[in-house]
Amino acid sequence: MSIKEKELTTNSPPCASNSLSNYLWDDHPDESKWADCVHCGMCLESCPTYLETGQEQHSPRGRVHLIKSVAEGKLEVNEQFMDPVFQCLDCRACTTACPADVDVGGLIEEARGQVRQAMPLTGVKRVVSNFFLKGLFPHPERLQAAGGLLKFYQKSGLQKAVRSTGALRVMPSHLAEMEAIMPDIKQSIHKKYKNVDVIPAKGSSKAQVAMLKGCIMDVMFSDINESTINVLTYNGNDVTLPKNQTCCGALHIHAGDRATGKKLAKQNIEAFKDADKVVVNAAGCGCALKEYPELFQNDPEWREKAEVFSEKIEDISKYLYDTGYIKPQSSINKTITYHDACHLAHGQGVRHEPRQILHDIPGVTYIEQPNADTCCGSAGIYNITNPEMASAILERKMENVPEDAEMISMGNPGCMLQMAMGVQKYGRGGKVVHTVQLLDWAYQEDMKKDNEKKTAAVKE
Amino acid sequence: MLLRKKQKQDVDSDILALTKIVGTKSILHYKEDLLSYDCDGFTIHKAMPKAVIFPKNTEEVSAAVKYCSDRNIPFLARGAGTGLSGGAIPLNNEVIISLVKMKHLLEVDYENRQATVQPGFVNLKLTNSISHKGYYYAPDPSSQYVCTIGGNVAENAGGAHCLKYGVTTNHILGLEVVLPDGEIIEISNNGVLDMPGYDLLGILTGSEGTLGIVTKIIVRILKNPEAKKTVLAYFDNVEDGSQAVSDIISAGIIPAALEMMDQTAIEGVEKGAFPVGHPDDIEALLLIEVDGIAEGIEEQIDQILSVCRNRNVREVKVARDEEERGRWWANRKTGFGAMGAISPDYLVQDGVIPRSKLPEVLNKIRSISDEYELRIANIFHAGDGNLHPLILFDSRIEGETDKALKAGTACLKACADAGGSITGEHGVGIEKKEEMRFIFSDEEIEAQTAIRDVFNPNNLLNQGKLFPTPSRCMDIKKVIKETAVTK
Repeated sequence: MSIKEKELTTNSPPCASNSLSNYLWDDHPDESKWADCVHCGMCLESCPTYLETGQEQHSPRGRVHLIKSVAEGKLEVNEQFMDPVFQCLDCRACTTACPADVDVGGLIEEARGQVRQAMPLTGVKRVVSNFFLKGLFPHPERLQAAGGLLKFYQKSGLQKAVRSTGALRVMPSHLAEMEAIMPDIKQSIHKKYKNVDVIPAKGSSKAQVAMLKGCIMDVMFSDINESTINVLTYNGNDVTLPKNQTCCGALHIHAGDRATGKKLAKQNIEAFKDADKVVVNAAGCGCALKEYPELFQNDPEWREKAEVFSEKIEDISKYLYDTGYIKPQSSINKTITYHDACHLAHGQGVRHEPRQILHDIPGVTYIEQPNADTCCGSAGIYNITNPEMASAILERKMENVPEDAEMISMGNPGCMLQMAMGVQKYGRGGKVVHTVQLLDWAYQEDMKKDNEKKTAAVKE
Repeated sequence: MLLRKKQKQDVDSDILALTKIVGTKSILHYKEDLLSYDCDGFTIHKAMPKAVIFPKNTEEVSAAVKYCSDRNIPFLARGAGTGLSGGAIPLNNEVIISLVKMKHLLEVDYENRQATVQPGFVNLKLTNSISHKGYYYAPDPSSQYVCTIGGNVAENAGGAHCLKYGVTTNHILGLEVVLPDGEIIEISNNGVLDMPGYDLLGILTGSEGTLGIVTKIIVRILKNPEAKKTVLAYFDNVEDGSQAVSDIISAGIIPAALEMMDQTAIEGVEKGAFPVGHPDDIEALLLIEVDGIAEGIEEQIDQILSVCRNRNVREVKVARDEEERGRWWANRKTGFGAMGAISPDYLVQDGVIPRSKLPEVLNKIRSISDEYELRIANIFHAGDGNLHPLILFDSRIEGETDKALKAGTACLKACADAGGSITGEHGVGIEKKEEMRFIFSDEEIEAQTAIRDVFNPNNLLNQGKLFPTPSRCMDIKKVIKETAVTK
């Protein structure tokens, strides 16, 4: 059955309820994506929500079947349809498992776009969603202010007070758990390098790279941004932080707000126009940036720009691996395991590179964990929107973390928060770190030793 | 209206009663949720179930079955839903009893080389759970990453390595079964290979869910072979490839697996997610694996290499290591799904022929492809003559589904005419029930339905599967007679 173009471009529902297609808005799920699915079921065991529920509609092929059924007019875009489409973690494990490379993630995001237009959020959800997704994340200055508030909360003794008075008990348990693992807020690189155009390479310069600061990354994890800059400059890269860059839009696209996603995409494409290489240290952001062309399937001009842009995007670990990095001399004597962020392993095919970095740090005892590439349940803001499923998935994940691991290394801030909750709750895994942090710490130690040698030489 | 709230569908008393048995979280009955259960791996026929329930233990299965049986409600069992003949499609608005929540490995008895699993336990997980002790579970259908052992028992599943090790039925040592009236029975031969009396395990295995619902399975586990070698051979023409298959077997070698893919199939797997770089201009490839005690493996490999060379092989190589071997197998095992990369729909057939007829039947399939103007890819277990013609079509083009079905029937007819059978491992289901007449007479079919009636007298369990519907009997007979006359 083919989809009638006319019906898809109109904004009002058709008169007849049994029309060919029940997708009524522009930018609908792409027929050629589901045409690849032959319903073989090889995806089932890769899907965290299927493993949890055992239900077909919460499996990749089940979701594709439902998305196709709406186009065929068998289903309508209603709440029962919304449930499977929004229960998906968008973790892309199915894309790895699929023999025909069906882009389930892309279909899900497009379907969410339709759901959100058919059933706009109402009430508290609308307010919360608008506040974070539209009011906060896309605005670096407001994010900085929010970061300042969090810092005040932590430093003023307010956090202590809140924790000791039991005020957290009135919060939903998953939010209280999140509060408990909130990292210490430090100075953002946005602020630190406000008046710096190029952060120069240490020693002679080999290349120039631009870096994505990220939105939440730079507030909650500015130390990882700092480590990324250190590691890049240590390896001879001049680093730029293009001024007009903004949030990547991944969270908006995951939530079905494709309009804001497109707006942010355009801003980033422009902001990084002059860069040849854009290094990203958050897997979710990197994957979203690489997939910008998907957003513009009906806009040839921007699609072309997005394609040029997506070619420039590289995860930090892959960039270091491909361009060669200095092997650190100082040891980190820890037993470390690695967790594959979904949007790094499944989304960008980066698996070997971060592991190699860990292997190259002296003193590290590396242990592989079973099902390392299974989602931890963070999935953007999934752990806030679907706390029950997220915590069930986290429990499964933590069962696989080796008991003697002292650190869990990974490449995505969302996973770091979620896994830190897992460590706190299940008491295993030790400390959660970003792979570049480990490399940075070893380099710092190397530099310290170098300096000591130099001062000693001078004294002599 | 389009934007309506959660539908207030009338919940009938049956749903309420079943909810009481399995709990609110273990039942689906809204249309949107049920839609994903309108087919399994066979997507040509679709039908909506009345409800889907997810029992957690044998008692819940039994209670639900008893409830349905007492009220004349049709019902059927479902595993992962990867079956290729439509065995789990609810033709009669059945209550689907999904066994995926009964997914535990209950016991492994290494001393007696057996394991006890629940029906929802995934095939490959068994091997993964016992491999650290050097054991594995032999039947390995291509869907083993996801399919359940319960489903394997229902379909008597085969796989690439069944040439040497046999199909599921050769590995089943005991079953717990819920009969269609809710009674729970246990059948076991306690490890005795020749039990007196009828072979009930044999009757139940491969009965396609028409005799009872299996709730516990005792399977045989095997010690890993000491050595294993895998060969990949490329042939410029199909005849040479098929002759090589016959030559290998007649040389006295029993490979663990002997697989073949033709040019269209190779195009599919190379465009799929696990390409290995097969050339696109060869007509056939063979994937050959030998295993056993280390002594003698090299000799067998040498024999295989020389057989291939005698049959004008373009290139033949032995897998360098486990990694390469793994890539070759992933490429082969995901072959069906990979067809999605070159065609929106496919219909896979499952004929069996005597090995010696391979070149002849492959030619016949080629002419069927020309006649129906549909591409047909062949991926198959050449060693045991189990063909899998994959008929590629586009269901969005009017009339093409019908054409594909007819081409499929013609392929099976060709297999039956060559002295073979209409199914090797996928089962009959709905897909091939009419074609049962290609190999069985009316009397033979009646004898089998009489056995079914002993277990399933009211035919409430998985009705309309496995055997042809009587109404079409005369038409089919006419067709067979006519073809016989024209011969």
